[in-house]
Amino acid sequence: MSNAPHILVIDDEQQILRAIRTILTEKQFKVTTASRGEEGLTLAAANEPDLIILDLGLPDMDGVEVCTRLREWTQIPIIILSVRDSERDKVAALDQGADDYLTKPFGIEELLARVRVALRHSARTQGTQSKVVKAGTLTIDLAWHIVKRGEQEVKLTGTEYKLLAYLAANHGRVLTHQSILTNVWGAADADHTEYLRVYMRQLRKKLEADPERPQYILTEPGVGYRFITDE
Amino acid sequence: MNFATMWSFSFLPRFWRYLLAFLIIAVVTVILFALREVLDTALIALLYLIPLGIITAYWGLGPGLTSALITFLTFNYFFIQPYYTLTVHRPADIVILVVFLIVAIVISQLVGRAQAGLAAATAREREATQLYELSTAFAGLPNDNEIAQILAKQVHAVADGEYVELNVTGTQSFSVRFPEMDAQTRPPELIVPIAAARGVLGEIRLWRTAPAISSRERRLFQTFASQGALALERAWLAQAESRARVLEESDRLKTAILSSVSHELRTPLSTIKAAASSLRGREVGWDSPARVELIAAIDDEADHLNMLVGNLLDMSRIESGALKPKREWNILPEILGSVLGRMKHLSVEHKLEIDVPESLPLVPVDYVQIEQVFTNLVSNSLKYAPADTVVCIGAQLEDEWIHVQVSNQGPQVPPEDLERIFDKFYRITAADRVTGTGLGLSICKGIIEAHGGRIWAENLPDGLAFNFTLPLIWNGVTPPQLPMDTESE
Repeated sequence: MSNAPHILVIDDEQQILRAIRTILTEKQFKVTTASRGEEGLTLAAANEPDLIILDLGLPDMDGVEVCTRLREWTQIPIIILSVRDSERDKVAALDQGADDYLTKPFGIEELLARVRVALRHSARTQGTQSKVVKAGTLTIDLAWHIVKRGEQEVKLTGTEYKLLAYLAANHGRVLTHQSILTNVWGAADADHTEYLRVYMRQLRKKLEADPERPQYILTEPGVGYRFITDE
Repeated sequence: MNFATMWSFSFLPRFWRYLLAFLIIAVVTVILFALREVLDTALIALLYLIPLGIITAYWGLGPGLTSALITFLTFNYFFIQPYYTLTVHRPADIVILVVFLIVAIVISQLVGRAQAGLAAATAREREATQLYELSTAFAGLPNDNEIAQILAKQVHAVADGEYVELNVTGTQSFSVRFPEMDAQTRPPELIVPIAAARGVLGEIRLWRTAPAISSRERRLFQTFASQGALALERAWLAQAESRARVLEESDRLKTAILSSVSHELRTPLSTIKAAASSLRGREVGWDSPARVELIAAIDDEADHLNMLVGNLLDMSRIESGALKPKREWNILPEILGSVLGRMKHLSVEHKLEIDVPESLPLVPVDYVQIEQVFTNLVSNSLKYAPADTVVCIGAQLEDEWIHVQVSNQGPQVPPEDLERIFDKFYRITAADRVTGTGLGLSICKGIIEAHGGRIWAENLPDGLAFNFTLPLIWNGVTPPQLPMDTESE
């Protein structure tokens, strides 16, 4: 296939590169690999891939910096790979414009799901935004500001709706605390994660069947939230 | 300080001592002059001896002898005929005068010498007391900084100095100043090295302009310095010894870790290796149900291995003090929810009961770390409690704390072991019954303590409970109450 999506994988661990390349090629993606940050940046500029998978622990430069330098000129979706317990780096990379993350070791279906979401999202931002988001029994009409659970309309406060609309418009992607707070409350409140906690809880109570074990609004521990749809 | 010592010679400058002596002689002379006609010459000579004794006793040999000579002259001048001359006519008067002079000088000398001896003895006793106080203060002090503080303070007190600085140049150099203020710009009046067998450990620098530092004081401070040197050396030795003990202990622990860890790591690796190699070979057919089974085993054991490595990393982070909670205001039920969501497949054999009231305030905790605590406590309960029993998770508000309890109907722990189960690698049952590194509970302890809380276990009538507390106050701030908007779209 000539128009198969092109994925650039930047990671210094050869075994990981080998595994990812094998699986993605099997899934009909075109794969290029780089084992150093500079090499990755050069390949990204030369090949203009459709997606970049970037490991945060590179030998020659900080993964967060690679992310920053990519974002200076391109909006190619970036999925970062990190090891457990590096929430700080993960969040830093996401706030620098990375689209999603995976924690090593990860299952391959997780990787494929993230890749699909990222590619779809970049296609959507280039084309027109879908106006209605569906998740289970939930229907969120972003044009008419109507939220329905089954046939029943759900009454939301202004802030609750803004929050849900932001989550739904970015469904499938992880959204950091900071990005949600900045987009819903404004940059001045970017540190008030407690707003987020409380409003998320209220939203879950109104939308989820069991708010303690949410299906739609998932918590990404230490990072942020993710809205899951049927797609 | 009583009256006598206040007036005694060591406290009065030389000039004043002489002046007071002359004043007393003058007063006595005036009194005796008034009584000249009624008193016998010999009696006057005797009465003159009284002030001489007093002067020598209080102000020393110098004023005593001078006074003796002066009284000899005044006695001759005012009281021996012919008056107001220094000539003597009567042979008896000559005898009185000569005897008076001899007695006066002898008294002065005797009293003066006794007095000087007493003063020296008092000074020696004071020095001994000061040294004793110093060594008592040093006794059992393990900290070199405290020793230096005390030494500086004592030198300052004993010398009545303006400022004392103590420079210690040991394994790590530091300075102590008393009183605490900026360093002096002018050079000190006295520098005493703190010397020990190993060499110079530092120096005492004393600033005192007046009075000049005497050789006696210099000697005293040298003794102080060598006492300080001894105390410093002792403290450093004790530190080195305890460091050695800690190293030895941690070495022993490392051996235990290595053996436990290699055993624990090898178990899932064996499973993965066996399953992967049989899938690679031709022993298992493509449609065989064993294939699904083997793949599931590889997946599960890889997760298990990942968890073990995670535990080890957490433990080493706790040990090195690198575990710093990233605190934020969180909702406890939300944390618990994501734990239970992830443990769904593990908890099919047990019934979970959750009793966490909705009204709990926000808690200032690290989401990921507290999630880990819940995960470890719940999985510990699931591991030890028999199937079809209940595991309860409850939380309640207690003043400025949240008290959480995770209880199960598993086996009780002997009371003497209730604390030890939070130790590394401690297991109640034989290691072959349950798997794990034996680190789960000690990681919980490390996390809860890093949050400023407390964790403990207790036996219940029908099982075992883990309790922990978390403070609600964060940097002096109580949980925020949020203004909720209630208007609807």
